[in-house]
Amino acid sequence: MNEKEIITLAKQGDKEALSKLVNKYSERIYNLALRILRNREEAEDVLQETFITVLEKLHSFDGRSSFFTWLYRIATNASLMRLRKKKLVYQQISDDPDFQESVESRVFVDWSQDPSVSLFDKEMKLKLDAAINKLSDIYRSVFILRDIEGLSIKETSAILNITEENVKIRLRRARQYLRDILSDYFEERVVSKYVK
Amino acid sequence: MLNDHKKRIKEICDLMGEDFNAPSCREVLEHINQCPTCKVYYDTLKKTVLLCQENDCPEELPDEVNRRLMNLLNLRDFLNAPEK
Repeated sequence: MNEKEIITLAKQGDKEALSKLVNKYSERIYNLALRILRNREEAEDVLQETFITVLEKLHSFDGRSSFFTWLYRIATNASLMRLRKKKLVYQQISDDPDFQESVESRVFVDWSQDPSVSLFDKEMKLKLDAAINKLSDIYRSVFILRDIEGLSIKETSAILNITEENVKIRLRRARQYLRDILSDYFEERVVSKYVK
Repeated sequence: MLNDHKKRIKEICDLMGEDFNAPSCREVLEHINQCPTCKVYYDTLKKTVLLCQENDCPEELPDEVNRRLMNLLNLRDFLNAPEK
């Protein structure tokens, strides 16, 4: 039985069909929420909210988007609502003026080939986690969907209901921000190695 | 020159993760290979994304979480391990 047939049965109230959809996607939804919220209890709450919404709204799912996109949109929105409620202070990521300044004022140091750059470096891992935590919801969601979940620009755009151009802009800013944080950390190490 | 770097770096960011064999990417790729500044930027950007991906450890859905979900949805009769 293909997914379209399973969805049709689930819409008619077939519990076995619904359970197949839940079993197929629950782990992915849990991990998506965990990536966005970075908290297991909240990820479970999002998982439950997502499938409750599926139960309530499945009759209105018209198949214009794929079931996966529709489900991911529900889960992403639920995760982002929670993130926004926390009202954390996020790093502001400005566009061109600051970026131009950073290009003009710094000499790029290549730390990418440094053998000590790895996740075994606990300090670096902490820096990376902190940097991702500082990404505001609009950047974090795009970065997670595109670069961590490996979805396409088109899928990311459909899930977040924003234009593909907007996905690219947000992704660019998120990637640059994270690179700059790691560069500040690694450049200092690389330079001090040569100064000694 | 700086404006050129800025333009190229934006292009590098946009194209990363896309198909570099596409004709539209060829010009950017040629530039990266000839420009030390952009090459360093590209390599460090790529490494950053790679580190983020390696740092990401997907978790198995805990049995308890799965059980609570299936109970909530009134699907406890179909409690199975989630599909991978």
